[in-house]
Amino acid sequence: MKLDTTGLESLPTLIAPQNDVVGDLSAAPSFDLPNSNDFDGFVKEAIQMVKPAKGTTTLAFIFKEGVMVAADSRASMGGYISSQSVKKIIEINPYMLGTMAGGAADCQFWHRNLGIKCRLHELANKRRISVTGASKLLANILYSYRGMGLSVGTMIAGWDETGPGLYYVDSEGGRLKGTRFSVGSGSPYAYGVLDNGYRYDLSVEEAAELARRAIYHATFRDGASGGVASVYYVGPNGWKKLSGDDVGELHYHYYPVTPSTVEQEMVEATGA
Amino acid sequence: MERVADSQRTLYPYVTGTSVVAIKYKDGILMAADMGGSYGSTLRYKSVERIKPIGKHSLLGASGEISDFQEILRYLDELILYDNMWDDGNSLGPKEVHNYLTRVMYNRRNKFNPLWNALVLGGIKNGQKYLGMVNMIGINFEDNHVATGLGNHLTRPILRDEWHENLTFEEGVKLLEKCMRVLLYRDRSAVNKIQISKITDEGATLFPPFSLKTYWEFSSFKNPTAGAEGSW
Amino acid sequence: MTKKHANWSPYDNNGGSCVAIAGADYCVIAADTRMSTGYNILTRDYSKISQLADKAVMASSGFQADVKALQKALSAKHLIYQHQHNKQMSCPAMAQLLSNTLYYKRFFPYYAFNVLGGLDNEGKGCVFTYDAVGSYERVGYSAQGSGSTLIIPFLDNQLKSPSPLLLPAKDAVTPLSETEAIDLVKTVFASATERDIYTGDKVEIVILNASGMRREYMELRKD
Repeated sequence: MKLDTTGLESLPTLIAPQNDVVGDLSAAPSFDLPNSNDFDGFVKEAIQMVKPAKGTTTLAFIFKEGVMVAADSRASMGGYISSQSVKKIIEINPYMLGTMAGGAADCQFWHRNLGIKCRLHELANKRRISVTGASKLLANILYSYRGMGLSVGTMIAGWDETGPGLYYVDSEGGRLKGTRFSVGSGSPYAYGVLDNGYRYDLSVEEAAELARRAIYHATFRDGASGGVASVYYVGPNGWKKLSGDDVGELHYHYYPVTPSTVEQEMVEATGA
Repeated sequence: MERVADSQRTLYPYVTGTSVVAIKYKDGILMAADMGGSYGSTLRYKSVERIKPIGKHSLLGASGEISDFQEILRYLDELILYDNMWDDGNSLGPKEVHNYLTRVMYNRRNKFNPLWNALVLGGIKNGQKYLGMVNMIGINFEDNHVATGLGNHLTRPILRDEWHENLTFEEGVKLLEKCMRVLLYRDRSAVNKIQISKITDEGATLFPPFSLKTYWEFSSFKNPTAGAEGSW
Repeated sequence: MTKKHANWSPYDNNGGSCVAIAGADYCVIAADTRMSTGYNILTRDYSKISQLADKAVMASSGFQADVKALQKALSAKHLIYQHQHNKQMSCPAMAQLLSNTLYYKRFFPYYAFNVLGGLDNEGKGCVFTYDAVGSYERVGYSAQGSGSTLIIPFLDNQLKSPSPLLLPAKDAVTPLSETEAIDLVKTVFASATERDIYTGDKVEIVILNASGMRREYMELRKD
């Protein structure tokens, strides 16, 4: 199989490529593949060795005013929390967001790569790429690497000429258009809250609160999710971050501690 | 990638040499190795030279696959030849040779086709002593004393204890002999035919092979399981 | 052939811990100097710190041969950058370069755990922390390597600042002075050495600030 490495091509360097001293350092970068009999097994083992961080809750939904996108911020390796401040909502350009679930490096790299492609499209066509187009760009690249061990579960959310757009794209080759998605280990919990509270005619404030609440409840029940619940809104004027709340503090916001009534006071025993 | 390459890889070593031990001393580097070549657990060869001078300023010692070592020597011969062809009065020092070896070893591991060796490179150029190591997957470092294979377990504690910057030649040889004796007693693939070599600013000297005086009458050698109830 | 023979792995773990702390106008990057393989100590004096640019210093642990290859690749790329742009690369630029360099080895990864510390274009301390295949994050402080699981909770306890993801944002500068940060680094390494067999011998500390770069060393337990 010939790999699609078009995603890796950078702008031609200013120095002529025949320069021997520079060698392949000035050439467009490319992936280094292991010369192993068992590629699958090797990549799997190698990635296990470098201990990827896992566990996520991300969600996005379309409503009357646009798209709401939210995520937690925890990365864990088994029982160990390797970070509480992961930026799982990736800002592709001012009108488009991507979410991160699966391999952190895979998501970061290919979203950045997608950002480059979208900008190039904008420059070539004098108009912004559609969410449909962008998500297809990503899905096609991921599909060309299918079976090589990439791990990406992402939602591409944005606003284009047709209005709000939302797609789910994954490294197995899947690409779904939809109005409501949640991805990651905490997604069942998030879906529970989301499906229960979702209406198309939600206001921006109501939608943001629903997204935040869904993430909070997912972090409450899913040990691999936690940290900060970030909520982004994409409207006709691009995306805007609406809130970022420590879920530890959100708990007391949703379940305030109320002083309970004392049934019986302890009293000093009177001397015998 | 290349299927052909798969069948040509060294998947396991055939004829192997055991530990190499080397130290810095007052005037340069001292290196010691025995001359055994093992074929599995058979002592197949008994007069293998595992220490070779490289260029004017370096000594190379190798443990592991002997054929791979000989291949490396061919690479180095070519390297030194091309360096000499400049005829500029300059010559590769131990640091350069060591660095070359680290790249060769690491490149081969990247191709999943390793050279099955642990190499010790010692040398001195313009009064600057150098002693380093590389292994089959490219791990490399410098130190005042190094040892490969079982030598790392058995002799480096001795070296850490007794080595110092100003060892004389005689003291250095004595220290290496002590190390080689420990290896001879406890490394089953070690043989009692040992070569010591030195390199100073005057150049490399490979001393003729010799045997160590051994004493096998220690009571724990005669009856090793005494006091270990339940064993054979 | 049924004979059981020696097998090999292209990877090894040579251990070691790396720490970096960013301050308002300084950055401290530190790593121990022990290099091990299994229960064996190969050498007690191996520097894991590499200066990639004037204001970007990387500390790396993991597989030494990969770390060395990574350092050489970055140095070479930085040299070309200097020839093309006639300036030193900034720390955030180096951070992105390191991320990409790691990711291009996605299918045959560098077994290297890095922290990159330096000063950004405003002269503020910055720390970037990575996984082995290039995912990275800018943080106020970080630890990587064999002792990281011991060091991070310690640093959290001493330095934890509001998350940069919070909105409205809260001031998140490490509250320590330069000398306090250096003392803290010394303490965390002394502590990690007590419980991590792959950390010890000596800690090398690099301090970057407006007046340039400076190095300090402190002896650690050697057992």
